[in-house]
Amino acid sequence: MGIGWRPEISGFVAGLPGLRFAEVVAESVHAHGDLPDGLPALLDRGVAVVPHGVRLSLGGAEPVDPARVTHLAAVASRLSAPLASEHIAFVRAAGVEAGHLLPIPRSREAIDAVVANVARTTAELPVPLALEPIASLFDWPDDELTEADFLTEILDRTGALLLLDVANVYANARNRGEDPLDLLDKLPLDRVAYVHVAGGAEHQGLYHDTHTDAVPQAVLGLVTELCARHRPPALMLERDGDYPPADELTAELDAIAAAAGYPAITA
Amino acid sequence: MQDTWGIPGPAFIVGYIVALIVVVILAVAHRKVLFRGDRSARVDDLGPQQLAYLNGGDRLAVYSSIGGLRAAGALGTAGSALVQTGPIPVGVTPLDSAIHHAASGQIRTRDLTGDQWVRSALDDLRTGLERRGLAVSPEALKQARLWAWAAGALALIGVFRLIAGIQNNKPVGFLVVAVVVVAFFTWRLARTRRIATDAARARMRELRERHGYLSPAQSPAYATYGATGAALGVALFGAAALYDMDPAFAAEAEIQRAAAANGFTSGSGSSCGSSSSCGSSSSCGGGSSCGGGGGCGGGGGCGG
Repeated sequence: MGIGWRPEISGFVAGLPGLRFAEVVAESVHAHGDLPDGLPALLDRGVAVVPHGVRLSLGGAEPVDPARVTHLAAVASRLSAPLASEHIAFVRAAGVEAGHLLPIPRSREAIDAVVANVARTTAELPVPLALEPIASLFDWPDDELTEADFLTEILDRTGALLLLDVANVYANARNRGEDPLDLLDKLPLDRVAYVHVAGGAEHQGLYHDTHTDAVPQAVLGLVTELCARHRPPALMLERDGDYPPADELTAELDAIAAAAGYPAITA
Repeated sequence: MQDTWGIPGPAFIVGYIVALIVVVILAVAHRKVLFRGDRSARVDDLGPQQLAYLNGGDRLAVYSSIGGLRAAGALGTAGSALVQTGPIPVGVTPLDSAIHHAASGQIRTRDLTGDQWVRSALDDLRTGLERRGLAVSPEALKQARLWAWAAGALALIGVFRLIAGIQNNKPVGFLVVAVVVVAFFTWRLARTRRIATDAARARMRELRERHGYLSPAQSPAYATYGATGAALGVALFGAAALYDMDPAFAAEAEIQRAAAANGFTSGSGSSCGSSSSCGSSSSCGGGSSCGGGGGCGGGGGCGG
């Protein structure tokens, strides 16, 4: 059971007695300078810290920037991480930065692009790579496969692990009007390296995976369903902003642990 | 031509400078002894306001209290005066109560130290710290300032020599410079100001390391750390923390941002933050290097 480490709540994270692992945004860690304040203490404690890339743009049509791959690999070594993770998404094209993670079309061509980029990345990474499918607010018109088939094929061809974001599963299913359990049933759950749990909010009829809201009960329900099928090795709360009082964060962590059947890390 | 006072010019200057150096060295050594403080004193059981006092005197202690009260929802601003916006929280210090009470009558932040309850709470705070060897007592300060007399005497000698030299039409260029330098030291020695003892400063440095997560460079989530966290942040990292926490309130309450921001540079910040200028949070702490762009922070809030 873990949490996404952020400098804003580093004091809170440091105070979690049962913390086993944390995830840090890879781009916020310097490969050769000082580690962010608070991280060295976690590493000394024996907490496993996993670098989570957000800007590699593995789903992009362009080959992934070697410098970014090198950075991710360097950070993974620096943190002595057990694995690294990134997203099945693109963030830039033709020199234009999107500023956040965008969904790629579920087409054979796109799969080829992702697989190629992942291959380039894993060639240099000293540890296994986990891929996170993202929440999308829309589907591309040239989608050829269902999300489950799409993800399964990518994972099969790359040999990568799955970073299952339950909040994304919920968001996608809700926005498409599908049953999230369908997707869970079809995904290769034995490939799950760890799980993200995050909050979101509804806005103008669409559910946004904001990471700045409380985790809804429905998502916690999904966590329980997931664990009933195949309990993942680790879960974590992913919160990126608008941090609530410490009590609320504690309650959320406990709720996720309870939903997953893991011991609480807050006491 | 005869030498002024029978002492040749260059010899006098050399002797004069040597005398100044001796005075300065003795003054510094004496101050080290005076300001040493109690080595065995601990700061672990000090409240945020006491720490704030050690870091920045009365003003920062008041700011720390205001920070805590604000985070607890008890203080607000109306125009540029502080007002009560809620009941006094439980378990607060006498300084908190005094400030909260003063705010019932809409008081400006700068007038708070004039309020008699606030004044008396601050005095108690200071004497408590002096007793523990963490704050420098007024007597010690007075003793340290005595060295200004020595430097002043030297300055006076220099001035007399200057006058005599001018009357005798001797070159006085170097002497003027020397007298100016001595006058400067006299002024500095007279203005000696010290709040925290050396022992206290060392403990504060350790505390800043331990509570580095409250440094404005980390853009701490004050809601998560609560009212104590807010007060502690102001105490350890200066008034800039108050601006970081609630910029609109800090501006309206006319908090002096430069109040004791020294702690910020001495902490072990992240590689981006450790040597940036005091005050506003550096851009590395929160976000621009993370995620696809400022707004999305960690995993790309919109979809990751």
